[in-house]
Amino acid sequence: MKKHSDIILKTEDLCKYYGTGDNQVKAVDHVNLEIRQGEFVSIIGKSGSGKSTLLHMLGGLDNPTSGSVFIDGENIASFKEEKLSKIRRRKIGFIFQAYNLIPSLNVWENIVLPLGLDGKPLDESFIHDIIQTLGLSEKMKNLPNTLSGGQQQRCAIARAIAAKPSIILADEPTGNLDTRTGDETMALLKASAAKYGQTLVVITHNEEVAQMAGRTIILADGRILSSGESEVVSDEEN
Amino acid sequence: MKKTNTVRSLALSKLRYNKSRTMLTGIAVMLTTMLLMAIGTVGTGLLDMNRQMYALTDYHARFGGLTPDQVNVLSKHIQVETITTTEVFASIENGKMNGALSYQETLKDDRSADGDDSLHSVELSSGHYPETEDEICSSPAFFRRVGAEPVIGGKVTLSFRVDGKGKILTREFTISGLEPDVEISDKIDDSRLMWTGRISKALLDSCRADGLYESEPDATLRVYGEEELTFDEMTDRINAVAADIGLDEGRVNINKEYLFTATNPGTETIAIMAVIGLIVIFFSSLVIYSIYYVGVITDVQEIGKLKALGASGRQIARLFYWQGAIVSAFAVPVGLLLGFLLPYLLFPLALWAYSSGSAISSYSRDTADAIIGQLHMFSLPVLLIAAAASLITVAVSLQKPIRMAKRVSPVEAIRYQENTNDRKSRKGHTEVKVSTLTLANLTRNRKRTAVTILTMGLSCVLFICVSAVLSSISAEDLARRSIPRGDFRIALDSALYNDKEYPENNLENLVQQDYFSEAFLSRLSSIEGVESVERAPGQIISSTDMESAMYEDYENHLPLSYFTRDDVTELNACLEQGSIDYDRMTANNEIVCTHAYSFEQYGLSIGDVLPITLHDGSREIPMTVTLAALAEPDANFTYLVMTEDTWNSLGLTCDPTTSIYLHVDDAHYDSVKAALTEIVAENEHFTLYAMDVELAIGHSSIDLMKNPLYLLLILIAVIGFISLINTMITSIVTRKKELGILQALGLSDRQLVHMLSGEGLVFTAGTLFISLTLGNAAGYLLFLWAKDEHIMSISRYHYPLWETVGLALVLLVGQIAITLFISRKMKKESLIDRIRNQE
Repeated sequence: MKKHSDIILKTEDLCKYYGTGDNQVKAVDHVNLEIRQGEFVSIIGKSGSGKSTLLHMLGGLDNPTSGSVFIDGENIASFKEEKLSKIRRRKIGFIFQAYNLIPSLNVWENIVLPLGLDGKPLDESFIHDIIQTLGLSEKMKNLPNTLSGGQQQRCAIARAIAAKPSIILADEPTGNLDTRTGDETMALLKASAAKYGQTLVVITHNEEVAQMAGRTIILADGRILSSGESEVVSDEEN
Repeated sequence: MKKTNTVRSLALSKLRYNKSRTMLTGIAVMLTTMLLMAIGTVGTGLLDMNRQMYALTDYHARFGGLTPDQVNVLSKHIQVETITTTEVFASIENGKMNGALSYQETLKDDRSADGDDSLHSVELSSGHYPETEDEICSSPAFFRRVGAEPVIGGKVTLSFRVDGKGKILTREFTISGLEPDVEISDKIDDSRLMWTGRISKALLDSCRADGLYESEPDATLRVYGEEELTFDEMTDRINAVAADIGLDEGRVNINKEYLFTATNPGTETIAIMAVIGLIVIFFSSLVIYSIYYVGVITDVQEIGKLKALGASGRQIARLFYWQGAIVSAFAVPVGLLLGFLLPYLLFPLALWAYSSGSAISSYSRDTADAIIGQLHMFSLPVLLIAAAASLITVAVSLQKPIRMAKRVSPVEAIRYQENTNDRKSRKGHTEVKVSTLTLANLTRNRKRTAVTILTMGLSCVLFICVSAVLSSISAEDLARRSIPRGDFRIALDSALYNDKEYPENNLENLVQQDYFSEAFLSRLSSIEGVESVERAPGQIISSTDMESAMYEDYENHLPLSYFTRDDVTELNACLEQGSIDYDRMTANNEIVCTHAYSFEQYGLSIGDVLPITLHDGSREIPMTVTLAALAEPDANFTYLVMTEDTWNSLGLTCDPTTSIYLHVDDAHYDSVKAALTEIVAENEHFTLYAMDVELAIGHSSIDLMKNPLYLLLILIAVIGFISLINTMITSIVTRKKELGILQALGLSDRQLVHMLSGEGLVFTAGTLFISLTLGNAAGYLLFLWAKDEHIMSISRYHYPLWETVGLALVLLVGQIAITLFISRKMKKESLIDRIRNQE
C-alpha cells in the first residue's frame, strides 16, 4: 500500500444519477478510486459504462449527485466557481475526443490559452519545447480548421501540458484518429506526461492504448469491476 | 408525398431539438411582423384621423370675392354638389376683440336627403337662426365676451364697421339662437382668438339697399366626382367650374388637405409608411438571416450526415423551408395580433395626452374625443402586406444558408467548424488574454460581426432618423414666429393698410405717436424680473403708384424694414431666387422679398425695379429699389427688407418701432406677464404676445400629429431593442459549446463576463457609429423632405440630442444586463452539458 501523500486524485462514493424512479440511470455508482502522482491510468468499459461521466467529474466539469472528488487532498465540491476555474487551469489538463480547440485562435494561442487565463508569465522556451516534441513547429500560426485530425489532437495535447498541470484527463484522445496517427499521438502523450512528471488518466476503447497504461480500471454500469494492480481498495482504509 | 412527410417531420424534430434557436428565430419573425403591422396600423390610424379632421371642413374649394350673379350661376351649376356662401359683413369694434359679423347660407346641398336642416353648417343647441335685421346668434361664449347674457331673447349691443372700413355703427341685437358652447382656455390671450356672430340676410339686404354694404361673398363648394376622380381630375373640374363663372384662378382656393385624403388614401402618409416598412423589412431580414446563418454553421455536421444518407440538395432546401414555414406559422399570426393591438391600445392614449394636455379650447378636446371614439385602425391590406412581407423576408433570409448547406460535402461536414472566410492562419499574440479572446472572436468571422452590428445599427438608424424629424417638429419654432426673441413681445396693433375713415389707426400714423418711447421702455425695464428690453427692427410703410395687384390688395401700402449683416446667413439659407450680397445690395438700393406666395401671385421677378414712397411719419421719401432676391425665412421679416446700411442712410426721423421684445427671468415670468397685461390694457393699440400662450398654440397645432408619431417612435425603439437583445442572445447561445470549452480550460465566470461584455462594447460602439452617421444623415434628409413638403410646420432642424443620449445609455446598459443575464443563466447548466451541446 502506498502512502496517502502520493495520492493526487481520489473519489469517495462518487455517484452520478440521471432521472428518477424507473427511469433512473446510474451513470456512476459509488465509485471509490485513488490515483497516485505520476501514474498512467487507463479507464476502459463499454459504451454507457460511465467512463466519460467519471472523467468529467474528476475534472470538475460535471457535478456529482453524491460523493466527493479530492484533488491534491482538497474536496473540489466545496469550491466556488472562481476557485474551480483556477484548479482547472492550474492542476488539470483536458484532452477531448473532439479536440475542442478554439477556432478563432491559432495553434500557439490555443496552446498558451490556459496560461493566459491564469495571468501567468509565459515560459516561452518550455512551450516551444512542447511544440517541438509534438511536431507542431511548422503550424504555430495555423488556425485549427486547417489542421488534420492528428495535428489538432496534438495541439490539444500541447494545450493540456502547457500549464504544467499535475493531472491530464484524456477522453478517448485517439477516438477520431486512424490507427497509425492514434498510436503516434498516444506515444507522444505518454512520453510528454512522463517527461513532465504528470499524472495521466485516459479513457479508451482501444486495447492497445489501455495496455500502454500502468494500470487499467474496468468500468461497467457505473461501477468499478476491476481497478488493476495498484488499486487501493477503499475498504482497507476504513 | 412520402418524401415531403419525411422532410417535414425532420424539420419539426430539428426545431424541437434546437429549442432556443427556434425561439430566437420565431421571436425575430414575430418582431418583424409586429413592427410592420404596427407601422401599418399607426399609418391607418393617422390617415383615418386626418380624414376625420378634414371631414370637418369637407368642402372642395373656396371661391373668394364673388358677385351675386356668380353665386347664382354656381348654385345652379350642374357640377356643383353643394355650395355654402359666407359673407363677412362687418368687423366688431370692441376693444381688442377680434370679431366679425357674418352671414352664412347653404344654397345647394344635394348630399342630404331632406335638405331642411342643412342650410346652416352649425347646428344650434337652442333657438333659431337670425331672420330679422336685429337678430343674432352665436355661441354663449361669444355673448359673454361682449358682455351680454347668453339667453334666447336677450339683448346685446354691438359696435361694428361694415366691411372693416367706413364709420363705426352701433346697434342693438336680439339673441335668436345659441350654438353649442365652447370652453375657452385661460391660457390663450384674448387677442389671439377669433369670434364670429351670425346675423340675418335681412340686415345684409337692408345695408346693401342703403349703399353701406356691397355683397362680395365667399363660397365653399363641393363638386361631383369625389368618389371616382383623382386629385388632379378634381382640381381640374373645380378650376373648370371657376372658369365657367369667369372667376380668376387667384380667387380659387382648393382645399387640398381634404381632397388629398378624400380622393386617394394619403399619398404622403403611404409613402412614409412604405419607406419605413422597407427599412424595417431590410433590417429584420438581416436579423433573421443572421440567425439562420449562424444556425447553419452549427447545423453543418448534421446536414453532412443527411447528405451522406442520400438527401438531395433540394431536400435540404425543403428542410430549411419547412423549418421556416413552421416557425412562421406560429410567429406571423402572433406578430400580426400584437402589431395591431399595441397601437390600437396606445393610439388613443397618445391622442388623449393631446386632448388633456394642450388643447386651447373644448372644441379641440371634443374633436379628439370624437376621433378616439370612432378611429378606424384596422386595414386588411395592411394585414396582408405585413404578413406577406414577413413571409418573403423569411424566404429571402433562407436563401444564403440554403446555398451554404447545399455546398457542404458530407466529408467536409464531419470536420466543419466555422466559416472563417478561408483564412488559413492568424498572426496571433504571444500571450493570450481575455481581450485577445474577445478580439479573436470578433475578427474570426468579420462578415458575421458586420452583419450583427449592421442589424443592430439599422434598427437604431430608424430610431434616430424618426427622432430627428420629431424633434424638429417644435412648438417653440411655431411660437418663435410670433415672438422671434425673448419671452414677450408687445406689438402695435394697427390697421396697417390705409384706413381712410380712421387714418389715425394706420401704422404710419401710429408710429408717429411714439408709443414706444424711451420712457415707456424704461418703465418696462423697471418691472421686477425683466432682464432686457429691445426694439424689433422697425417698419416703415412703402407705397407706390405702380400698377400691381400686390399694392392694390394692400391698399397701396406695404411694410418695409431691414436686415443686418448677421441675418445674411439665415436669409441665404432660405434663398429661393436671386442672390443676397450685403454690400452690393447696399450700394444698389436692392431689396429682398420674403413672401414667395405673393411673389408668384403678383408676377414679380428678380431684377424688377420698383418705384416706392417711404413714409417717415408725415414725411414722404421717394426712392427706387431693385428686387434682388426672394427668400422665405421663418419669421421676423417684413414683406420687403433692405440692408441695415441702406435703412440708416435714409435719415429717418420718426421711430418706426412696431414691436418690443422682453427677456425675463423664469422665476418672475408669471408676475411680469401680469404686469405687462395691465400695461398693455392701457393702450388699445398694444397687443401682448406671451411665450406660454404661443407655445400652447404651437402645441395645439402639432401635438395631435406628433404624439401618434412619438408612439411610432417608441414602438420602433422597443421592437428594435428586443431584436437587439435577440441578436445578442443569438450570438452567445450559438457559441455555448465554445464558451463551455473555454470554461473547461479555466476561463472563470468573471473572465467570461469580461469577454462577452468586451464583445458587447464593440457591438455597442459599432451600432452607435452606424446610427450616428447613417441615422443622422438619413434623419437630416428626411427633415429636408418634410420641410420641403411643409409637413407639420417643420422649419428648423433640431438635433435629437436626448434621443441619442438615451439610445447610447440603453445600448450600454442593455448589453451589460443581457451579458450578465445570459452568463448567469448558463451557469445553471453543468459545463459538460454545455460542451456537449450542439447549439
